[in-house]
Amino acid sequence: MTLHLSIVLWLPVAFGVLGLLMPAKLAGRVALAGALLVLAYAVLYLVDFDMSSGGLQNVTDETWIAELGIHYKLGLDGLNLVFVLLTAITWFAATLWASFGQLEKPKLFFFHLLLGETAVLGALLAQDLALFVLFFDLMLIPFFFLVGVWGGPARIAATTKMVIYTLVGSLLMLAAAIATGVLAASGAGESLSFAFSDLAQRPLGDGTQEWIFLFFAAAFLVKMPAFPLHGWMPDAYRQMPLPALAVFSAVLSKVAAYGFLRVCAPLFPHAMEKFQTLLLVIALASILYGSAMAFTTTQARLILGYSSLAQLGFITMGIFALNEQGTQGALLQSFNHGLVVAPAFFIVALLAARAGGSEDIRDMGGIALRAPALAALFLIVAFATLAMPGSANFVGEFLILLGVFQTKLVFSILAFAGVVMASFYALRLYIRTMHNRTGPRVESRELSLRDAIVLVPLVLAIIAISVYPQFLLARTERTVAGGGTEPALAETPATLEAP
Amino acid sequence: MITAAAAKGPEIDWAALSPLVAVFGGALIVLMLGLLRSRLARETLVPVLSIASLAIAFGLGVWQWGERTDLLAGALRMDELTLVLTFVFCVAGIATVLLSWRHAAPREAAHGEYYALLLTSIAGMIVLVAAQNLVTLFLGFELLSIPLYVLCATEMRRASSLEAGLKYLIVGSVGSATLLYGLAFIYGATGSTDFAGIARDLSGGGDIVSDPLLLTGIALTIVGLAFKASTAPFHQWTPDVYEGAPTPVTAFMAVATKAAAFGIMLRLFDVALIDAAVDWAPPLAVLAAVTIIVGNVGALGQSSLKRLLAYSSVAQAGYMLAGVVVASRLGLQATVFYLAVYLVMNVAAFAVIVARERETPLGDDIDSLNGIGSTRPLLAWPMTIAMLGLAGLPATAGFIGKFYLIDAAVAGDYAWLGVFIVVGSMISLAYYLKVIAAIWMRPAFEDEDESAVLAPPPGGEQPALAGASEEATTLRAQGEVVFVAVLFGAATFVLGIVPSPLLNVVRDAGAAIGLF
Amino acid sequence: MNSVKLFAWLTLALPLAGTIAIALIGRKLPGRGAGWLGSGALALSFASAIGALVSLQGLEHDHRQVVAVGWDYAETVGVDAQISLLVDPLSVFMILVVAGVSTLIHLYSVSYIGSDAGYVRFFAYLNFFVFSMLLLVLAGNFLLLIVGWAFVGAASYMLISFWYRRGTATEAGMKAFVINVLGDVGLVLGTYFIFKHAGTLDFLTTFESVQDDFAYNDADLVAGCILLLVGAFAKSAQVPLHTWLPDAMEGPTPVSALIHAATMVTAGVYLIARMHPLFEWAPIAANVGAIVGCVTLLVAGSIAIAVTDLKRVIAYSTMSQIGYMVMAVSAGAYAAGLFHLMTHAFFKALLFMAAGSVIAAMAGQQDLDKMGGFRRAMPFTFGCMVIGGLALAGVPPFSGFFSKDEILLLIGDRGGWYWILYVAGYLGALLTGVYTFRMIFRAFFGEPVAQARELEEGHLHHADVHTNPANDEVEDTEVGFPGPEHHIAEREPTMKIAMGTLALLAIVGGLLQIPKVTHVIDHFLEPSFADSTLYEREPSGGLIAFGLVLGALVGIAGIAVAYLIWVKNPQIAVRARERLAPVHLFLVNKWYFDELIDLLIVRPAQWFGAWAQQTFERVVVNGLLVGGTTGVVRAGSSAVRAAQTGFLRYYAALIVVGIVAMTLYFLLVS
Repeated sequence: MTLHLSIVLWLPVAFGVLGLLMPAKLAGRVALAGALLVLAYAVLYLVDFDMSSGGLQNVTDETWIAELGIHYKLGLDGLNLVFVLLTAITWFAATLWASFGQLEKPKLFFFHLLLGETAVLGALLAQDLALFVLFFDLMLIPFFFLVGVWGGPARIAATTKMVIYTLVGSLLMLAAAIATGVLAASGAGESLSFAFSDLAQRPLGDGTQEWIFLFFAAAFLVKMPAFPLHGWMPDAYRQMPLPALAVFSAVLSKVAAYGFLRVCAPLFPHAMEKFQTLLLVIALASILYGSAMAFTTTQARLILGYSSLAQLGFITMGIFALNEQGTQGALLQSFNHGLVVAPAFFIVALLAARAGGSEDIRDMGGIALRAPALAALFLIVAFATLAMPGSANFVGEFLILLGVFQTKLVFSILAFAGVVMASFYALRLYIRTMHNRTGPRVESRELSLRDAIVLVPLVLAIIAISVYPQFLLARTERTVAGGGTEPALAETPATLEAP
Repeated sequence: MITAAAAKGPEIDWAALSPLVAVFGGALIVLMLGLLRSRLARETLVPVLSIASLAIAFGLGVWQWGERTDLLAGALRMDELTLVLTFVFCVAGIATVLLSWRHAAPREAAHGEYYALLLTSIAGMIVLVAAQNLVTLFLGFELLSIPLYVLCATEMRRASSLEAGLKYLIVGSVGSATLLYGLAFIYGATGSTDFAGIARDLSGGGDIVSDPLLLTGIALTIVGLAFKASTAPFHQWTPDVYEGAPTPVTAFMAVATKAAAFGIMLRLFDVALIDAAVDWAPPLAVLAAVTIIVGNVGALGQSSLKRLLAYSSVAQAGYMLAGVVVASRLGLQATVFYLAVYLVMNVAAFAVIVARERETPLGDDIDSLNGIGSTRPLLAWPMTIAMLGLAGLPATAGFIGKFYLIDAAVAGDYAWLGVFIVVGSMISLAYYLKVIAAIWMRPAFEDEDESAVLAPPPGGEQPALAGASEEATTLRAQGEVVFVAVLFGAATFVLGIVPSPLLNVVRDAGAAIGLF
Repeated sequence: MNSVKLFAWLTLALPLAGTIAIALIGRKLPGRGAGWLGSGALALSFASAIGALVSLQGLEHDHRQVVAVGWDYAETVGVDAQISLLVDPLSVFMILVVAGVSTLIHLYSVSYIGSDAGYVRFFAYLNFFVFSMLLLVLAGNFLLLIVGWAFVGAASYMLISFWYRRGTATEAGMKAFVINVLGDVGLVLGTYFIFKHAGTLDFLTTFESVQDDFAYNDADLVAGCILLLVGAFAKSAQVPLHTWLPDAMEGPTPVSALIHAATMVTAGVYLIARMHPLFEWAPIAANVGAIVGCVTLLVAGSIAIAVTDLKRVIAYSTMSQIGYMVMAVSAGAYAAGLFHLMTHAFFKALLFMAAGSVIAAMAGQQDLDKMGGFRRAMPFTFGCMVIGGLALAGVPPFSGFFSKDEILLLIGDRGGWYWILYVAGYLGALLTGVYTFRMIFRAFFGEPVAQARELEEGHLHHADVHTNPANDEVEDTEVGFPGPEHHIAEREPTMKIAMGTLALLAIVGGLLQIPKVTHVIDHFLEPSFADSTLYEREPSGGLIAFGLVLGALVGIAGIAVAYLIWVKNPQIAVRARERLAPVHLFLVNKWYFDELIDLLIVRPAQWFGAWAQQTFERVVVNGLLVGGTTGVVRAGSSAVRAAQTGFLRYYAALIVVGIVAMTLYFLLVS
């Protein structure tokens, strides 16, 4: 059977609009139903996924704007399957969390939240460069509102900074994308088309590849964010409402990583080779810098934020190992990090609720006393965050660094410093909040049933994937091995134009 | 025209001419009706009839679609390009009429005159974009300008309105003069007034392309048109005039005038001077780049929405100029497409401004939008979409428009200009997002309702004329304004999702120009 | 699947089941139920370990290396990581020791932790630790080994900071964990170097083809092995990665007994033994191991003489003993090293338990200076302490005597520069005797302290307000701390049983392997080391005789010295301290290793962090990148608005300029 990707793509926003029409009380439930349906669909795709093929599956291909050669083309393969699953899971968790909380203007909130999910899914499923760019930029709009309307005190400045900063990259990418299409078409003397499958067969000249790649890289690196382009991150993370932050940090950063694999690797192989070292340096810098920041800052959110900076550094490294192990590791790690960081943010919220609303770890401590279950969940998440062997995160890092080790040994060895630092800042966060003497305004209490409903499944998912990472690796392998970072990857869809 | 008729005594193809006639006719009728004493006739019949005439013109345009006829001995040409732009003018006109319906301006300047001037100006625009020779070009140019000078000043009791009119008159005349000079030089250099002839001369010889006379002519022509299109550095009048003029008129100028200016640019450069592209393309490109930057940075930190949109219109002019620079059919189509979506987005924005001007005492200050996200969703959404569109964010017509322009720029080997466009958009986010932030993220303007009551309508300082009915009008939710806002806001969104119909129309317009 | 695999899986699964069960239902169990549940799981695990032993012996000699594959873990793009156990004599030997000693220590803990607030948590952790340790020794490939390796690190962290309200405890836990992660990193990198050539993570496959994949002393192999050693050193507290072990004594005493004496810290020894095909093919690396082991045993021994904290003395002695083992397995004396590992597990666990009993009697006080005269108060504890001490000091016929001397014999037998190690070994043995009995004499002989006298009258001493000896912080009664109500060996049957059993083993354990007489361990382990060139060398009779005599003498001499100094006339000790003040200071400060590491690693990292936080983020990231660009734009906008005066004359001027510029351009360019 073929499950139409359009359904899962438009489901969320459809429910979002539905929620707008419903009375405010129901908004949360409607949104929840939408997110749940998406999750169900994602699982269906997972079940339905044909592991033996590395190419696109469930392809939808319509011409959208003939004049501009833009196709409405969606497809699923090993690369984006993982991300779609991650999106569905985290978004459901976030919606659940939000629907338990008390929000003003709930209808609008859930509308934007679900619009965000559609945008992300669109960027992930798009098999047309223009479509990808469109959704990639669209992702930002709902989050602009989520931060600006429901965020903290300094929200407006933070959200404006975030949008402009990240769009600086994205708009450059827009120009680059159009250039890609136009130049590829003129080079091949064919009509304009942005479909990846067409672009892959119209290779660009080396020089062109280089400047175009740099524009794309700018967009992705800002979005991740990567050092030193993370200036927008601290403010935005501080102000963002928690459910939004959970999905933002868990998924949106990964879409950037995905962009490298989906767009740059197949379309600009020469540039990937040429700038490998540059990108590895940036990745390494992100790892070290992020870790250093993470063990000096005292804001719980920022500790997680900077740790994400470091983790994204690892993922970038894996991508630019330019070999299969690196790519596999990057894919697995993207999933793991998303799955780990989302509950981590929820836990931070719980901690803040127990520390008199403060998210500063200096105001916390000794929270574990009356909350053994919370402590246990947090400990598991913390260990997963520092990629302790036995967690799937470790398998990811193992593959990534193995991949880098085989191409650029030095980077791999240096990157291990980040591994050690991670163990330090993750434990520091855990000990300073849960252990030691009780903080001034701390009153320790066990997590409520509602919190458990959100957290426990996520943690169980972490454990499950840690016990059997092969589950994902087996599904991504064919696509990756089918070319991973060689152009071959892009030819595969071409051969599967009509499923 | 008369002269042309006398000289050749041409047979006139009334069918092709009909849209123009409809508008002129409408102008005359409205002017007459304005003399009636009955208030009904003046305040209701006149606007309705103006709308009707514009609607008819639109309809006739649709009827004439596909015919490419030269009129009046090749003075005018009714092809798809003319018609597309005619549609733009008519839509802009109808919107303006709706926005002016209960506005102070027509009341003060007597309804008949006000709407007649509006229609005349539109007629002028049609003539301008249909022009096939330098004479009709200048004729149309003046015909569209002079009524506008007056329209700007129609809120006679508001000093700033008069000032705006005066400024526009003076600066505009300078522009016209420069243009006239330029045209004269071109004629002098090529020895022919009609575009085809000029094109022929240029295509013929090599050295004429570098004839100083011609070059000076082109330079001055560019300047003259740059005034109307308000491209830097000839934009200074724009913010002042936009701010001073009655808001509906501002809306009209922002979209229609720009469309007319670019229409004739396309005709002149892509038809008559196409072979001199080597001369005019580079400076025009520089002009575009400068305009983009100046417009966008200028708009930052503006607290008056009208000034903000004035600068934004400058910036947008820069974007569209890129379509002219590349001198290709793709560029022409991109420009025309952008003109259309620009119309839609801007009208939506101005409609909201008009509505808030009447609801709050804050006039067009950005604070007048504070918190309308929760209080006036029907105004909030259109404004939001319009701003996102102008910023060129996806799922709006603006995104497709920019996409098309960059596409054209890159295809025309002006990739750097494409980059300029996106850089401009980055800067523009700063002020467009400011507006959206005001709508959704700032607390609602305190005691909204009282303010609406207390709010003196713009120019309503003289109860003597305004009369008791004045408060009544302000209190009434201006259905037509909200209608315009919602309609054009929706259009912005829809064109962002299904642009193909419009793109087809634009493609025909591109096909109409045979000279690529 | 055959019974060997089945038993192996069972051994591994039971403690995990125990953990989960305790975590879920532990609180609901009455009284000490959780403890008994944990001990029961361990007992069963030990039973199935014996089952594995029996069924393994059932197989014929050269099929005693069984690989039990669970499922694919990460089987992709050239990486072949499975959940696979390698069941062979070596791993069975280890699981027997681990499961066995753990069971006894669980038994001990049932009473010792009995009244602690974190009773249930403690046994959940303890079971988890045993599971991790078994996973480590049963792992059939590098990746799984690393997993077990990290798990024991985590478990050790959790147990060290078990009393998590103590700042000292959490600090110590963090320190232990981070240094262990350093070890993990070494292990991973080492794995990379080996995988690069071997192309597989599976142990047996790697070992079989090592001589084809690598040249003899191949640079990559040496690098890989040395990195593996880093892992081993971190886990087994070898110089310079040992600093976490003494601090780890913050944990409850049973934890010290189990993790930081008997099992986890010996993982490094197991690792080297397991990797012997690699090390024998890269002798350079092996020698590094031997030398570091030798250095460690001397350094630790010397420190153990100076420190006054009862548990820390034992901790340093552990370090030094592991030094022996590491030296042994690196020098190819595998059986000897593992034999010592076993006996050490017995007597060192015993010593810790006895120490725990004393500490309990001292109401949590651990300082030797404050102890004395417990001989009469706690005869049973005293007995155990002495037995353990004699075994440790290597006095015949106690177990330590045979194991330690076999190590030194075989090293001496290697000849060449190994003689240095041989001599150093006996020097260490002398130190061992001294510090062991210094400890015993100071705690049990001399004038009975108040606590001891109180105990003789039959009731326990209770401090009115408990403070953390490390920093005089008032203890947090909610979470618990050493001995709020103390349980000492004299009173608690379970503790007696555990200690008694270990005491017995400490005495007779040595009989398994008496030169020229019994070779149980040798023969049993032989299949695992079939491919070894250094295995089962028989030193010459003369050397053996010499060694045995020398060993015995050295041990006794050490005891004699201790007796002379700390019992006969204590002035010697005082005078020596005055005379050798700098040396003493140097030893008391543990050779300044902590300070050194702090200076070289911790400080720079913190400095970098602070610099990034305070300077770079502000100046560059937000200042230059963000502020700079926005600044430029802002400047532009103010410039434009400045030009926008509203006065026509200015506009006119600008227009003229514009027109002229435009015209000039056209005229000049063409």
